[in-house]
Parts: sequence; structure tokens; C-alpha cells
Amino acid sequence: MGTAPAQLFPEFIVDTLGLDSVIGEVAASLVAAFVVGNIILAFTGVAGPWAKRKITAAFTDRIAVDRIGPYGLLIIPAAAVQLLAKELIIPEGVDRPSWDIAPILLPASALLGFSVIPMGQLGPINLHLADPEVGFALVFAFASIASVSLVMAGYASNNKYSLLGGLRAVAQNLAYEIPLIVTAMSVVIFAGTLQMSGIVGAQTETLVTIAGVSIPSWYALVNPFAFVLFLTANMAEIGRNPFDIPEAPTEIVGGYQTEYSSAYFVLFYLGEFVHIFLGGAILAVTFLGGASGPGPESIGFVWFVVKIWGFFLFTQWARAALPRVRIDQLIEIGWKGMLVLSFANLVLTAVIVGVIA
Amino acid sequence: MSLERPDSVDDAAIERTPDELEALLGDLVVDRDDHLNAPGFVIRPDTVQETLRTLKEQAGYDHLSVVSAQEYENRYESIYHLKKYDDPTQEVSIVVPADKDDPVSESAEPVFRTADWHEREAYDLIGIEYDGHPDLRRILLPETWQGHPLSMDYDKDRPQIATLPEHANPLEDHHKDAESDTMFLNIGPHHPATHGVLHLKTVLDGEQVADVEPDIGYLHRSEEQMAQSGTYRHQIMPYPDRWDYISAGLLNEWAYARAAEDLADIEVPEYAQVIRTMGAEMCRIAAHMLALATFALDINGDFTATFMYAINDRERVQNLLEDLTGQRLMFNYFRLGGVVWDLPEPREEFFSNTRDFLDQLPGSIEEYHNLITSNEVFQMRTIDTGVLPPEVAKNYGATGPVARASGVDYDLRRDDPYGYYDELDWDVVTEEGCDNFSRLLVRMREVEESAKIIEQCVDLLEDWPEDERTIQANVPRTLRPDDDTEIYRAVEGAKGELGIYIRADGTDKPARFKIRSPCFSNLQTLPEMANGEYIPDVIAALGSLDIVLGEVDR
Repeated sequence: MGTAPAQLFPEFIVDTLGLDSVIGEVAASLVAAFVVGNIILAFTGVAGPWAKRKITAAFTDRIAVDRIGPYGLLIIPAAAVQLLAKELIIPEGVDRPSWDIAPILLPASALLGFSVIPMGQLGPINLHLADPEVGFALVFAFASIASVSLVMAGYASNNKYSLLGGLRAVAQNLAYEIPLIVTAMSVVIFAGTLQMSGIVGAQTETLVTIAGVSIPSWYALVNPFAFVLFLTANMAEIGRNPFDIPEAPTEIVGGYQTEYSSAYFVLFYLGEFVHIFLGGAILAVTFLGGASGPGPESIGFVWFVVKIWGFFLFTQWARAALPRVRIDQLIEIGWKGMLVLSFANLVLTAVIVGVIA
Repeated sequence: MSLERPDSVDDAAIERTPDELEALLGDLVVDRDDHLNAPGFVIRPDTVQETLRTLKEQAGYDHLSVVSAQEYENRYESIYHLKKYDDPTQEVSIVVPADKDDPVSESAEPVFRTADWHEREAYDLIGIEYDGHPDLRRILLPETWQGHPLSMDYDKDRPQIATLPEHANPLEDHHKDAESDTMFLNIGPHHPATHGVLHLKTVLDGEQVADVEPDIGYLHRSEEQMAQSGTYRHQIMPYPDRWDYISAGLLNEWAYARAAEDLADIEVPEYAQVIRTMGAEMCRIAAHMLALATFALDINGDFTATFMYAINDRERVQNLLEDLTGQRLMFNYFRLGGVVWDLPEPREEFFSNTRDFLDQLPGSIEEYHNLITSNEVFQMRTIDTGVLPPEVAKNYGATGPVARASGVDYDLRRDDPYGYYDELDWDVVTEEGCDNFSRLLVRMREVEESAKIIEQCVDLLEDWPEDERTIQANVPRTLRPDDDTEIYRAVEGAKGELGIYIRADGTDKPARFKIRSPCFSNLQTLPEMANGEYIPDVIAALGSLDIVLGEVDR
């Protein structure tokens, strides 16, 4: 890269406002985190009550929300009021406080993941909260907290369907997190760093130039095989078709979320959507060049948004089109197929990188 | 070629005269009580198994269609209506009277598994006890119900109040066995995939099913009794629409029409038969489309596009049915001796709409094959799951697509022709897979066959001379079939053999009206398919059975 990496968002606030003290830095960090968090929550707000319905309707030849506001957009506040105004039913015999913590933990874990995601520049602001040297490992660590919350919810609900859902969630996450991370490691071998900015930076180099158009070396283009593996494991990680078996409404009635209503239900849904966006963000950073795209660097955030919404669209597409695999088949694919393939990919990548470099 | 016929398989296929059958049964027969559809043999209540086994093994009567029971002034009576899967026109009725004061009769369950539920129903509604039955409990009514509603001394004004503790509580402690590794799980009565109000008492070993027992009766609406209090001519016909209410209405109406017309000896004009055939096949398409849609819902999850596509196609055929009958679900279109009115005017518009529908149908079917049946994940989920071997299917009296997907070549439209079917060119669809996938495939292929039938009917109707369009035979305003005539007649409904048993007592209302519901018998096979499978496969098997609880519970 010719230019120096842009300042992180909290540092930018500190510099711009001249807050040159520890308290100032803490305040700036909180403000930055607040802004980033709200951007993501705004995405889920649009995605949950509106975009998801519109997309599903388009796939199934229907008309969706179009009564309230332009393009039905006012369904978003309407749905928010409706959901939050519902009675919070607390079933008998639930194991509190874990029953209450689970719905908070799920969105929290996914939001935490965004702290290290470089979301690109919007004008002078670089929407990137922190860039630790092990950022890449951190984001997976944050994301996997989600399974703890699902088990908690499943176990604490005092409902057999919830328990089955919770158990399915653990089995599924165990089986797919390992291939996911092993595949991600092959990218680390390419980039030679665990730092998020480093991984993104390594993908801006030109791979080939065709007719004057230079194609960047996004890892999805460098190693499409790893990309497909990662995409598949990611679908299992976020629990969408064909791997939506922890919820499987037609089998186990929504699994771990069966007993949740009102605000807790909203939190679960919110958590799931944030999780999808985090999955998309990880995918974008790891394989799709992060926030890079045509045009000046200062609109990088726009490209980033396009990429994560593209991933969201993909999950909804899969939902409309693909059948759900059975739990034993899922485990089999995970342990016998994906794990082997991801290790093969890792070894192959290591050999190739070792020989060439 | 040998001229002899040594093996018993051939022996079973030959048709015997009633007298030959009587000779075969020998001393078992105490009297003759012939029905309009079949010879009837009266036997002693303690020789049921012996009689049925003789008929099954030596004469090839391998299909126990239904057990109908009733109470007379001086006795109780169970009738076992037997048929052959190879030729359902060969029928025989075994009449088993039981003592008025102590109605006990031997159970047929060891010979025909299907008798299990049928006898439980007879016990529940009539009050006959079946000796040797493995599990003689109430089936439709709650366990705490007092009295048997179709028996003569039943006091319907007596309130039925059972306190909650008296009911069997499915959450009771005895389901929590500390020693065993299994878990008891109630699937339903409210569950997204039970296709109505069905309750499956499931015992799970991990995610695998150790035992499943369907608990039915949540949608019991006394349909038989309602029919018994209506007059033949007009008051019964609206009810059949409500049995299998998944737009299979005309098929159900035909079941009643066929039984009552044969009972009262009514000849239906040919033109009306063609209209009936066309309408019935439209209903079959609508019903199968819904089966496909909900099956996709069970396998793919609740956001699947296939569901809406199939509902869309069902909507098109529903529009045609609306044009034809004026109704979208509760058609009430058939009348004894014909149909209520002719095709809608302008006829050309109706024909062209129908042809438009038939033209786009192959494209839709192609799309379903692309979306689901050719999808590897879908195949992985459905092939070799929920297996129902043909012999088991026959033993349980399974019929319709469920039986045909197990390779049992049994379709009443061809084997026991009625309407205009035997004049038309179409095929009976069978598959050999015996699994969830085959059952779906049979339905999808049957839709194509139905389309062929409709097309031929449209061709016929278009060219029908205007002065020969008789839609209704001359039927007396009040029908009073002769006293003590009995008939069992069945048609091929969307789910299988839908039969009606009627006993006339000389009045204008049936003395006994018994519905043989295909879903009732088909649902009985669920434990056979589900045991040892995973929960998702139980859901898939249930979906592939395509039951409608309105018809199971009646």
C-alpha cells in the first residue's frame, strides 16, 4: 500500500477533538464503539422486519410488507413496538438467571466481534475500532461465545424441544468451527499475519491485469476452494439452511428459542442477525478484500456494506431454496468431510506458500 | 406351460363364487347375510381369527378395508369388509354378531394389523369389546368419556365432565424414568409439522425414536352420526366436503354418491360422469399440490420457496373448481344421480382456462423436480427413510399413494371402475422405493396422470352434443332404500380408498353410516416407518403420509 494505514476510529476522535488524557481516550473509545454498534444494530433493524421479508417474498413470488410507509419501510418501527409491547412470559421452572443471560449473551458476543473488523473508510473516518495483532483469532473467539448462549438458553428453558435445540447447536458448532478456523488459517499463511489490517492489506495487491483492469488478489480468487469451504462452514456457524437444524421449526419448534417471548425473543433474533452480519464481515475480510473496491478509498465502507449485505442475501437465498440436512448427516459432513478437506487445504497452502515464497 | 396351478399364489387370485367360499369356510359359517356389494357370512364371535385367516391365506383376501360395527335391537354386530389387493371387486363381508348384554367378540388384530385401530374405534363408539385385542382403549374420545355415543342406550344429554386430574396427563411422573436413558416427548397436538391436531407420544433415545404412538381424536366431529341424522337425498352431501377438507371435496362427495347411488339403484348420466371425473381429478391435483407443498415445508424449513410455488399451482386449479362449482373448498357439487349444474357459461372460456392450466402444469412439475427431487440434500434426507415394505403396507390396510409408493399396485379407479375412468387413457403410478421419496414421487407423477384425465374429459365435453347434456338422472324426491339392505362402496380418494358403509332401515335416513377413511389406516403405519429413525425422519414420514386430521378423526 502506498499510503499509510488510516487512523483507527477512536484515535481519530481523540485527535480531532484534542482529548489528550486517559479519560478522553476511554470516552472516545466508548463513543466510537457506540457508533459502530449502532450501525450494526441499524443493519439488523432493516434486515429483520423489512429486508428479510422483502427478500423471502421475492424468492417465493409474493408481495411482502408494502402497506406502511414508502416501500413498507415503516414496518420497522411498527414491528419494534409490536414485539417489545408483548408480554414477557416466563415459563415455570426455568433456570434463572441463565435463562435471562442467554438472550443478552448472543447479540453481545456477535457485536463484540465487530470491535476488530475493519469496516473501511467513510470520508475521513476509518470505521475500525481496534487492530490488535491477534485480531483474527479474537474475532473467532468472540463469535464462538454464541454457542454458549444457545446451550444456556436450551438448557435453562426447561423444555425438551429447547434442550434438543441446544444440544444440536453445540454438536453443530463443534463440528463446523474447527474446519472454519483451519480454513481461515490457510489465509493466515498467505498473509503472514493475524492482524486484521494486515490480512486486508495483503489482498489489495494486484493478482493479474487483464486489459488494463487490475484484479486484486482477494483470497477468494487466489484460493476459491478455501473460499467455498469457508462459506459452507460459515453457514453452519450462523445456523442457516441447509444447516438451520438447531432451530428447525418444523421439527423441534424453534429449538432453544421456543420458550422466549417479547424482548428476549427480540434479543435472540437480533443476535442471530448480528451473527449473520458478523459472518459476512469475517467472510469479507478474509476472502473478499475487506473494504476494498473500485473508487477512492474513502468510500470503502460502502463496499464493505455491499459485501456483508450480499452475504445476507445469500443466506436468505439458501433459506428459500435448500433443504435442511439431518443432524447425523450434518455431523458426518462436518467431521468426515469438511475437517479432512480443510486440513488438506491447509497443508497444500503451506506447501505452496513455502515453495513459492 | 403347465396346465396345473400348484402354488397358492395362483390359488389366491382365482375368483370364487359365494358358495365356494362357504364351502371353504365350512362349519365356521352359521348363516348368510349378503350385502349389495359382497356375499356376507355370519360367524360365531369366537371364530373371527380362524375365519379371517382362512380367507386371507387360502382365498387371497389380503385387504381388510374396514371394520364397521353397530348395535341392533337384539344384538351387536361387527362387519369385517374384506377385499383383495389384486382385485378389489372380489369382496366378502364377515358378519360377527355379539351378545346384546355382553358384547364380546374375538379380535382380528393378530390376522390383520389394521384391525387394531378399527376395533378400538368400534369399542369407543359402539361399545363392543374385542377379546385378545392388544390395546383396547378409546381412540377418538377422551379416556374419561362415559358411554358409547353410537350405542342405543347412550344418553346424549348427560353432561361429560371429567376433572383434569382424571384425564391422563402426558407430563405425569411415570414418563420420567430415572433408570432408563430414554426421553418421553409429546409432539403435538400443537406442533408446526403435525398437519392438523395430531399428538404423537414419542419416546426418544437421544435423537432417535424408540417408540411413537399417534394419539388421534382431537378433530372428531361425529361425522358419522351427523350423516345418520340426515336424509339421503339432500342432507348428507355437504358433509363429505368436510372430511378431507384439503380441497379433495369432490372425491369425498363421490364416495357418498357412489355408495348411495348403488344402494338406491340410481343410474348416473354419462355426461355427468364425465364432469364428475374431471372435477374429481382437479381435486386430486389440488390435494397433491398441497401434499407436495407441506412436505417441502417439513424437509426444507418454513421459508422454502417450493411451498409458495405449489400453493400457487393449487390456486390455479382451485380457480377452475370455483368456476365449476361456485365454491373453493366446500363444493357441495355432486347430487345423487348427477351434479348440481352444468359447466359454467361461457363454456369456451372454462375450457380455455382449463387448457391453460394444463399447458403450464408440466413446466411447474419440472420446476419442482429441479427444486426438490433432484436436489442431493433432499434425496439424502428422503431416500431410504421412513421405509414401509409392501407386506407391512398391506397388513395395515394402507391404500392410495402410500401403498403405491411401496409397490402395491392398487388403484380403485382402475381396479373397481366407476365414473368415466375405464373409458379414458391413463396409468396407475407405482414406485418401488417404499420410502419418503417414493411417496412424494408417486404424488408428483399422479398429478401428471390426473392432467391427462382432465384433458381427455375436456375434449369429450367440448364435443358433447348440446341436446344430450343431461346432468342429473331422475331421482325421487325422497329416497327410502329397502329395509335391511347393506352396502360398502369405495372410491379412490386423494389419500386412498375412501369407502362408505350404509345400512338402510326403510326410512329416508341411514341406520348406520360408516366412513372408511384412508388416512386413518395410513396413519396407523407411522410407527412402522418411524421406529429407529431420527426425529426429522419421523416428521418427514408423517408429511409423506399426507394425512388430514379431519378425515382421520371424522
